[in-house]
Amino acid sequence: MFDFREYLRMEMFPHMLCPGCGHGIVLGALLRAIHSLKLTKDEIVVVSGIGCSSRLAGYVDFNTLHTTHGRPLAFATGIKLARPELTVIVITGDGDGLSIGGNHLIHAARRNVGLTCLLLNNQIYGMTGGQFAPTTQIGRVSTTSPKGQYETPFDSCKLAEAAGASFVARGITYEPSALEKLIVAAIENKGFSFLEVASDCPEFFGRFNKLGNPADQILMQKQNVVDVEAAAALPAERLRGKMLTGILHHEPRPEYGAVYAESVA
Amino acid sequence: MEPNGTQNVLIVGVGGQGVILASDILGVVCMNRGYQVKKSEVHGMAKRGGVVYSHVRYGAQVLSPTIEPGTSDVLLAFEPAEALRWSKYVKPGGTIIVNSRKRIPPAACQDRRMDAPTRYPQGIEQALRGQVGDVRQFDAEELAVEIGDHRMCNTVLLGALSSVCEFELQDWLGAIAASVKPKTVERNQKAFLAGRNAQFAAMRDSLPSEKCEMSRSVTCLDAPEIAIHDSWCKGCEICVVVCPQACLKMNERNRAEVVKAEACIRCMLCEWMCPDLAVRVQ
Ligand code: SF4
Ligand code: SF4
Ligand code: SF4
Repeated sequence: MFDFREYLRMEMFPHMLCPGCGHGIVLGALLRAIHSLKLTKDEIVVVSGIGCSSRLAGYVDFNTLHTTHGRPLAFATGIKLARPELTVIVITGDGDGLSIGGNHLIHAARRNVGLTCLLLNNQIYGMTGGQFAPTTQIGRVSTTSPKGQYETPFDSCKLAEAAGASFVARGITYEPSALEKLIVAAIENKGFSFLEVASDCPEFFGRFNKLGNPADQILMQKQNVVDVEAAAALPAERLRGKMLTGILHHEPRPEYGAVYAESVA
Repeated sequence: MEPNGTQNVLIVGVGGQGVILASDILGVVCMNRGYQVKKSEVHGMAKRGGVVYSHVRYGAQVLSPTIEPGTSDVLLAFEPAEALRWSKYVKPGGTIIVNSRKRIPPAACQDRRMDAPTRYPQGIEQALRGQVGDVRQFDAEELAVEIGDHRMCNTVLLGALSSVCEFELQDWLGAIAASVKPKTVERNQKAFLAGRNAQFAAMRDSLPSEKCEMSRSVTCLDAPEIAIHDSWCKGCEICVVVCPQACLKMNERNRAEVVKAEACIRCMLCEWMCPDLAVRVQ
């Protein structure tokens, strides 16, 4: 029987995330996915950068590396090239992965390095006090956009796909079982897998934007998304302003490490 | 699934069993999910215990409203002989879920002598298994009677159907609430969960646990154990809000507490949605 405690560094708990922070739900889904893939703890490396989401690496009892801001993909690429047999999972946030680390993201995707990148998107820099991020929706309030943010946000899934990721998907914390399955599919893909997870930051994003308590925020997620398969049949006006969830793109192509090994053999 | 991604569910029974309502609820679930749904049904002889069936097809785009023989993903039969009648509609590798409670029609009782054998077909379950590998037979009516209303048999069966469908539990419970009389919502939801849990429990028992994808989300009939790690709980209330059975509540210290473990259906939502990994359901 699955017991998530087997995969945790119990002495580190309770974790430091705020009450109701969606990142903890992603952590649970990741552990269930790893369990169902029957991977042993030693076969996994979790690499993270800086930010609330990146703190997750500290709580799991795998090989873990908490790296510098925006650089987890660069470190992870090195690990994957040196030890291609390992399953390397990168946990990053919208600030870490898209702003400071945006360049690493597009190049890891372009090279199709065999990594699974979980980008926890809560539309805010939580750890540093709630500044707006490259994914903050227009009009949203943050410490640095008291009157509402007016920059066009990234659609990180489109970005990853355009940059060449062979697997792109989006999940939400409201659907933990679907999320678990997406993580499994992402890990199973041999090349670069990009999975954005819409997460919540009740402490800053929720509070600044008056979204209610953590439970309200999580229930609200459902209204903002449409499953990609269902979306195919919906008229454009029903999709306006909605994010697509599910596997958005899957086109396997040669993995970087394998190609590299061949070229130097 | 067919190449075009359409899912076929054939729901069959005899008059008065609630086939149409069950298929309506499935339709609502599919529509809310954003799928196109087409339904086609016959219920002409319904009042006389005649055959009732409903074809439900859903997917991104559904062309025909009827299911071709040999293409149904699931056959949900409210009655064993009806399962047999319709079994040729099931595709290879499909699933038959069948209520074991017989409804012996008048035509099968033509020999009027006391204790005369009926012409009701024998060995239905074996015959079904001969055609389709995945046959799940159970007594739905018994579960409905336990809930206190044998008429809830259709929702029990719908619950069983949900165990093989992709939709989330909340979607089903919402569609039931929207489709049945307000007075009966709670009972129907209970019946639904009873059917769903019975299926999950059976699935778990029939598969070696490491092979069973569902093994973690399975509901058992023995008393569940919900453990809340008090010192990890940060009082976000998510578990209390998502529990469909109101098993949990916040206590005066603003920590989650189990108040109704016996009602737990092991849907796992509280464990899966607790951001602090403070809940464990066994
Ligand atoms: S600041 Fe926001 S993202 Fe960071 S732990 Fe708190 S709720 Fe989570
Ligand atoms: S598993 Fe949790 S959420 Fe589900 S019924 Fe039991 S207590 Fe409620
Ligand atoms: S979801 Fe977890 S942290 Fe939140 S109230 Fe429930 S047990 Fe506590």
